[in-house]
Amino acid sequence: MSDTKETMFFIAKPKKIKRSWLIAILFAAWVVLARIFQGKATLVLAVPEDTSVTTWAGNVADSIRGNRSDGASFKYFFNPVREFINGFVTGIREIIAIPTGNSSIPMLGWLGVIAVIGFVVYAVSHLRMAITAVILVFTCGALGLWTDSMDTLAMTLAAVIMSLLIGIPVGIWAGLSDRALKAVTPILDLAQILPTLVYLAPLALFFLIGPASATIATMVYSIPIAVRLTAFGIREVSVSPVEAGTSMGTTKIQLLRKIQLPMASRTIILGINQTVMAALSFVVIAALIGAPGLGKPVIDALIIRDVGGGFVAGIAVVLIAIMLDRSTSAAISIDESFVPAPASARRRRKLGLVSAGVATIICIVLSRQFAWAAYFPEQVNISKPVANVTESSIAWITENFEFLTTGLAKVITVGILNPLEGVLSNSPWFLTVAMISLLSLILGGLRSAFITLTLLLAIVASGLWFDTMITFTQTIVATMLTMSIGVVVGVWIGRSNRAERALRPILDAGQTLPAFVYLIPMLGFFGPSRFTGIATGIVYSIPIVVKIVGQGIREVPTNMIEAAISTGSTKWQLITKVQLPAAKKSLLLATNQGLIFVLAVVVIGGLVGAGGLGYLVLVGGSKPELQGKGLIAGFSILLLGLMIDRIAQYTVARNSAPKH
Amino acid sequence: MIRNKKAAAKASVLATAAALLLSACGGAGVDADAAPAGDTACGSYVIAMHAWVGYTASAQVITEVAKANGCDISQVPLAEAGVTYDAMESGSVDLVVEDWGGGRWQEWADRGALVEVGDNGNIGLIGMYVPQWMADEYPDITDSANLNKYADLFVNDESKGKGAWYEGPPGYTTIGEKMVSANKLNFTVLPQGSEAALIDVFTKAAENKTAAIGYWWTPQNFLAKVPMARVNFPTNDWTDAGLASGLTDYPELPLIKLATPKALDANDPFTKIVKNFKWTNDDQNAVAADIESGTDPAVAAQKWIDANAETVAGWLK
Repeated sequence: MSDTKETMFFIAKPKKIKRSWLIAILFAAWVVLARIFQGKATLVLAVPEDTSVTTWAGNVADSIRGNRSDGASFKYFFNPVREFINGFVTGIREIIAIPTGNSSIPMLGWLGVIAVIGFVVYAVSHLRMAITAVILVFTCGALGLWTDSMDTLAMTLAAVIMSLLIGIPVGIWAGLSDRALKAVTPILDLAQILPTLVYLAPLALFFLIGPASATIATMVYSIPIAVRLTAFGIREVSVSPVEAGTSMGTTKIQLLRKIQLPMASRTIILGINQTVMAALSFVVIAALIGAPGLGKPVIDALIIRDVGGGFVAGIAVVLIAIMLDRSTSAAISIDESFVPAPASARRRRKLGLVSAGVATIICIVLSRQFAWAAYFPEQVNISKPVANVTESSIAWITENFEFLTTGLAKVITVGILNPLEGVLSNSPWFLTVAMISLLSLILGGLRSAFITLTLLLAIVASGLWFDTMITFTQTIVATMLTMSIGVVVGVWIGRSNRAERALRPILDAGQTLPAFVYLIPMLGFFGPSRFTGIATGIVYSIPIVVKIVGQGIREVPTNMIEAAISTGSTKWQLITKVQLPAAKKSLLLATNQGLIFVLAVVVIGGLVGAGGLGYLVLVGGSKPELQGKGLIAGFSILLLGLMIDRIAQYTVARNSAPKH
Repeated sequence: MIRNKKAAAKASVLATAAALLLSACGGAGVDADAAPAGDTACGSYVIAMHAWVGYTASAQVITEVAKANGCDISQVPLAEAGVTYDAMESGSVDLVVEDWGGGRWQEWADRGALVEVGDNGNIGLIGMYVPQWMADEYPDITDSANLNKYADLFVNDESKGKGAWYEGPPGYTTIGEKMVSANKLNFTVLPQGSEAALIDVFTKAAENKTAAIGYWWTPQNFLAKVPMARVNFPTNDWTDAGLASGLTDYPELPLIKLATPKALDANDPFTKIVKNFKWTNDDQNAVAADIESGTDPAVAAQKWIDANAETVAGWLK
């Protein structure tokens, strides 16, 4: 006890130098000890071997399976939920994607769908956006994937609508009440970090294969994003307008409606966009449990290693993502303009809406009467050239930049990964546990250390310690690389509208292009290796980091920036001394989400040779005798994510505490 | 006030849009083609589609034959094993045409969810392979006893100073860790999560003449494109991977068809096809090769069916 107190005494002094010295000493001791005890007590467990915990998990899964057909829970809960969701999805699909009744086409033929999309987007935003949306949707058809695209659009709309109906109210609640936030945070972590493949099979067990299970799997992942960003937006509203409102006697509801929600609207919209992106990133996984949409062509292409064909389907996903993302953003920016439009402009718009409405009705009627307007014209097909161009450019990059890609992989692998693995996974488990806990103590204090120690011991108890440390190493490296690239790019797009416009399609692509599409090119660049897994994580997690950081930089009050400029700050000073510190909360959220997104694709890493927990999740998913191990591997990913996140939070809380 | 008006305008616009959608719900102009009138003696069935091309070949041939005999067949892309067996138990899927699992479905079979219909004629053989150039240059490398002699050739950044042993994808029977430890091989087992990863390894090894040893299997059309040599371990003495000592090689594995009791009891053309379907590794490779070179699976399957009318007729007896 006295020891701890002494350490605490040391740390409690707000001298940063002391702490960094402590950390340096700790690392030095860690490296030396790890070297001495290398390869001892590492708790390596061969893939086919179980531990008592994994065996137990497997038995639990079996018993659920055996008992599932009887029981009121199916009759009164799972089946009705399935029916409802299937009905909802089918309803939307019947409008745009699948034949209805005795017709061979959906309610709307392709021309009708495009007209309605154009009209709705025009109605909620402006003409330019409507034209863009129409072109994007038309291109999906031109890629030869009209029906699959419409299925994906329908599934996405269904999942997003239901996610927002749940996510935004919960987010508002968590934004207003600290207790609510505390209560939901662990559930959000659980839902966002637990790999989908872990709960995919159980979901299919309860809700059967098909759209319902796929939609629920998507919602499990996308609701937390809606909740988090909504809550974050409401909490970010500065205190003064709220206080002003309260002092004028506004009710809580009025406060929410007139002040907090409008002021948080940009962040909430970011939340809606991210919910859409999350839903679209599920396209392929959804196909693994028999859901319709663009996942099937992606898998078909992967089966025959048709890289170009895979990209064609992947591009269609990205186009839908861009269409939905831009339309929602444009709708909001219209709402934000407080300057009333002149009467002439309003008249013009009314006229425009009426004529667009008439044109839309004509298109709908045409699309229901004539084959040319019902079935997307096969003559318009650019899929071959697009496939060829992507394929040849990937081949060109692989051939000409191999020295670069393999060089980069080698530098990271030999320079960072291998040494880090030597310290974390290839040394005795108790050394690693002790050292991480001590680090947590120095950084975040006693409570942080206690939580860290508990989580680490839970991982040891699970029996998957070694694999967890392999994944931990890769997660650290991937998150560090993501943050260092993401913050730079985020600051850039936060300061320049042009940069934002230019980069946004690339960011959207990074988030929604299914990893299965670039799996083979990635392997071509880096070979099956841990680095390939890391690269996949970076591609997926950078967009959200960039978007959140950019948003944070944008929201720094103008008066702060003006003040800094008037006192003669340089651009560099402005960024490092004003904008970044002012956007600190956004940076924190970005780190949290960056980490969670990296962990979300750990399983994809398992596909390309990264090993660790991701691979075990895959094994558990396809070998029934090891299903328990897969489940526990999924939970270990969760424990790992919680541990890193909590250390980060305590560290920040401590550093931002008022100085003595 | 202005904002309110705007909101009202927007609401009315949305209402118009909704009305447009509703107006579209009237009578349909483009009518369905009449369903092909054929034998109504066959029911509707769902075939699970797993993600490898040999599977696609077998499933597509069954699909085409069944359709020609009046069955209504749909295909569902589906993850292997557990998810698929559960789907069979709940009645969403009727047939798996090629299962490598060696009895991993037993628990479901015991509950009556599915029935092992017997083998489909394809013989699966798993093994450890090296690129052909290595076998040419080091002829004795194909004997597992000599592997340690060459272990240094296989070292890379991933393999921790030992030879890199590229292990098979997660769903496949793999005993690499046991083989390495039982035979005291100086190799590190690197788990590969996908067929794509292994293909990358072998393709590069052949192109750049680099060393590689990895898990591969037949029937697989890839061997026709990138020649590889099998490393032979002592003759196999196990059937249950869980009980394998690791000293010996992988066994030959007849690949199994699994079907639901519903499909087997219907006694319609589909039942006959499911029970009698059987073809050789060469047959499967031929169809798979066509599919891989970009032919539509249905066309590739039909081509094989036309060329093998007698075999197909035999399935329908």
